[in-house]
Amino acid sequence: MALVNWLCGGWTALVFAFLYVPIILLMVYSFNKADMGIAWTGFTFAWYEKLWKTQPLLDALKNSVIIAGITTVLSVILGTLGAWMLYRYRFPWRKALSTLVFIPMVIPEVIMGVSLLIFFTLVSGPLNAWLATFSEAEWGLGYSTVIIAHTTFCFPFVLVAIQARLAGVDPCLEEAAMDLGAPPLKAFWLVMVPYLLPAIISGALMAFTLSLDEYIVTLFTTGPESQTLTLKVFGMAKKGLDPSLNAISTVFVLATALFVVLSEGVRRINR
Amino acid sequence: MLATTGVAETTGGSRRPGWFGWLMMAPMLLWLVAFVVVPTGILLVYSFCQRDDLGEIVYSFSWENYRRIFFDSDTGKFGTTYFTVFIRSIVYAGLTTIICLVVGYPVAWFIGRAPESRRNLLLMLVMIPFWTSFLVRTYAWIMILSNNGLLNSGLEYARLISEPFEMLYTPGAVVLGLVYSYLPFLILPVYGSVEKLDNSLVEAAFDLGAGPVRTFQEVIVPLTQPGIVAGILLVFIPALGMFAITQLMGGGIKPTIGEVIQNQFLQARDWPFGAALGMTIVVLFAVVFWFTSRKQEPA
Amino acid sequence: MKPIRLLLAGVLIGLVAAPLPAMAQKKKNVLNLFCWSEYVPQEVIDGFTKETGIKVNVVNYASNEEMLAKLLAGGSKYDLVQPSEYTIEALVKAGKLEELNLANIPNIKNLDPKFTKMPHDPDGKYSVTWMAGTVGIVVNTAKVKTPITGYKDVFDGTHKRRIVVLNDAREIVSWALNSLGLPINEITAENLDKAKPLLKEWLPQVKVYDSDSPKTALLNGDVDLGIVWSGEAAILYKKDKKFAFVLPKEGAHQFIDSLAIPKGAPNKENAEKFINYILKPEVSKLVSEAFPYTNPNLEARKLLSKADQENPASYPPGEPKLETFKDIGKAAKDIDKLVTDLKGK
Repeated sequence: MALVNWLCGGWTALVFAFLYVPIILLMVYSFNKADMGIAWTGFTFAWYEKLWKTQPLLDALKNSVIIAGITTVLSVILGTLGAWMLYRYRFPWRKALSTLVFIPMVIPEVIMGVSLLIFFTLVSGPLNAWLATFSEAEWGLGYSTVIIAHTTFCFPFVLVAIQARLAGVDPCLEEAAMDLGAPPLKAFWLVMVPYLLPAIISGALMAFTLSLDEYIVTLFTTGPESQTLTLKVFGMAKKGLDPSLNAISTVFVLATALFVVLSEGVRRINR
Repeated sequence: MLATTGVAETTGGSRRPGWFGWLMMAPMLLWLVAFVVVPTGILLVYSFCQRDDLGEIVYSFSWENYRRIFFDSDTGKFGTTYFTVFIRSIVYAGLTTIICLVVGYPVAWFIGRAPESRRNLLLMLVMIPFWTSFLVRTYAWIMILSNNGLLNSGLEYARLISEPFEMLYTPGAVVLGLVYSYLPFLILPVYGSVEKLDNSLVEAAFDLGAGPVRTFQEVIVPLTQPGIVAGILLVFIPALGMFAITQLMGGGIKPTIGEVIQNQFLQARDWPFGAALGMTIVVLFAVVFWFTSRKQEPA
Repeated sequence: MKPIRLLLAGVLIGLVAAPLPAMAQKKKNVLNLFCWSEYVPQEVIDGFTKETGIKVNVVNYASNEEMLAKLLAGGSKYDLVQPSEYTIEALVKAGKLEELNLANIPNIKNLDPKFTKMPHDPDGKYSVTWMAGTVGIVVNTAKVKTPITGYKDVFDGTHKRRIVVLNDAREIVSWALNSLGLPINEITAENLDKAKPLLKEWLPQVKVYDSDSPKTALLNGDVDLGIVWSGEAAILYKKDKKFAFVLPKEGAHQFIDSLAIPKGAPNKENAEKFINYILKPEVSKLVSEAFPYTNPNLEARKLLSKADQENPASYPPGEPKLETFKDIGKAAKDIDKLVTDLKGK
């Protein structure tokens, strides 16, 4: 058994190396003087300076993180509730609902983007007419539409991850909590959620990642003020991705790594 | 006795939902109706329409688009390029899924059996590379694999090869790119199942004299099956529609169904036809899914 | 129960706060620019904001079709877009563009008259030319020693799988039509049938289809020849003079990218101010330096460095055979079908 674990450990190390090789590379090249190509012409911090001064890129990063964050929260809520309900209850069209949940994953992104755009446009007319009766505000494409779009195709991932965890769960868990007098909601929260936590975390990580990198759906559902980093990067592809993009990726990776290390540290101190 | 399941369609509960149940389900139902059913409905309507000169929709019912998908326009026979394109996408997605499964399962195992304090850290480490920008990552791969790229230069420098080895713009590069992108989406769900695996079951199998391979086959796989199935779904389905990687790392020589559909909305501006292609995929999927997900009766 | 309350509160706040930025939009003095990213350098935008106090929201697209799809599907109100010539024609026909108030754009006098009254906008009422360019052949002269004068030379079979071309069905078909001496804007079933065998011969020789950054494959040595945008060629030439640019003798596509105002734009005057600002020679020069297409602004051209003025990809010498694309309406889908079918086999 120990041998198997060792082998898996070695394999995992190899896989991590595979995952990180391009990342290390792009981090290294964020310091390259040349603005494109493989040739290394010298070490410089110039791209980081440029990044710091390019407000739209920084804004876009901020937007991406906010959108991904809210999307993840919504996806986890919808996905967890959905998986739980599909598991717990039996009702006539349950199978149809199960299938329906997969639709956002199956639908090609461009179709999802276009159809949501059309939908939002159709809705915005009556909605704005109603809003106009009591305020000057106007609803249009922007954060809300992007978040809705992202959540729609992210939550099935969370749902599937949690369904897998629910399969074969001991039904006594929930019963036990309720026998002890807890109302269903509390039983769910105190017993099921901790049990589901690894799957919830898996799902959340997937949702966050998907939302960060999403291009096509975002392109169609965004407004002028909610540009995401991915939109900016894809737009820059024509000119050539200059290393300030490497710089922003490096910054983000390092910031996340730092955050992880710090929270590990905090957790250890709290023990 | 563990019954085999198709897709994870386990019925742990068999209650009919009371008002509370319906209330809890309401958010997801409403969300699905508003943002999935209605837009899909719009597309369904479009798929029966035609485009006009500017590319806007002409609302006149016609089967033309669907006919074009299934029957060759020139010869009228059954079978079109779209079949080939679709099958190619399935092959790529299938290959990717299998490789991800083989490569990723041991990783999920290791993380799932790791000490509890380390698990979340390891999971994050799996994901962090994918918080860099997709294009920047892919261009990094291009830098590695291209003819003047790092791998070739390194090999030439080490005198292992005399001429650059063609790695980029090949189907191999495409699979590499796909596996790279989707590996985490297999590792994470499988981890969810591995993590709850009761070690005593594995030990019991050993105690009863089963070797590691037999234990794996007859104990571990069935117990982590829901995770495996979830992982397969979360890799195969998105990989079907992916085309940015085929374009960037494969040179875009052989179109995939995702690319063809995108072209209909952008270059060809034939939205009805694109909608028809999309609908066909959705319906195909729904049919396959419906028939392969069987209920597992509660023990 | 505290964490769940915090969580729910956070979500609710998020949902409520999210639309607020969109709602606040109405009050500010803004300009919503929907454009090709490389065309509008950050310094130009900053300069404009500094001079006029108008905040610019830039949204990028990577192709005309993306822009068109978004405009047609509705949604956001953009003030300025940058369509190519055939797209302008289509938009004008459908009445989707605002007429420009040329009194607000005095700097238009800086433009080369050749670029002011073009076939896609004969009275110059709807658009102002931003940049022009061509689609031509880039030759890595270090690897390719035979003379390349046109499409037939590229696809003569000796450069099999060492070619990159644009991933644009219409472009590809136009090259075949030009080679056959057929008009590139007459996309009839007949002409397409004639082009088909030629394309069948050509396409298997292509190694990479890339409309976004074909220069990558050329720089990385994965290909030796390319049929690409002249801007890409100019950048390659700037990097290394071994990348020669040749306009095919059979005829080439000249594209004209212009600024136009979509109908219903909320900040039309700001848009016109921006157009006027861009036409200033010193500003236009910045645009050229960022991406060296053919600058129609004669005053700006005088300010460019000698090397830039002599870049053959930006300012091709002589009188090459050039033609712009016309809007072909529905035929676009036939072209796409032809190329997809050929690629798919």
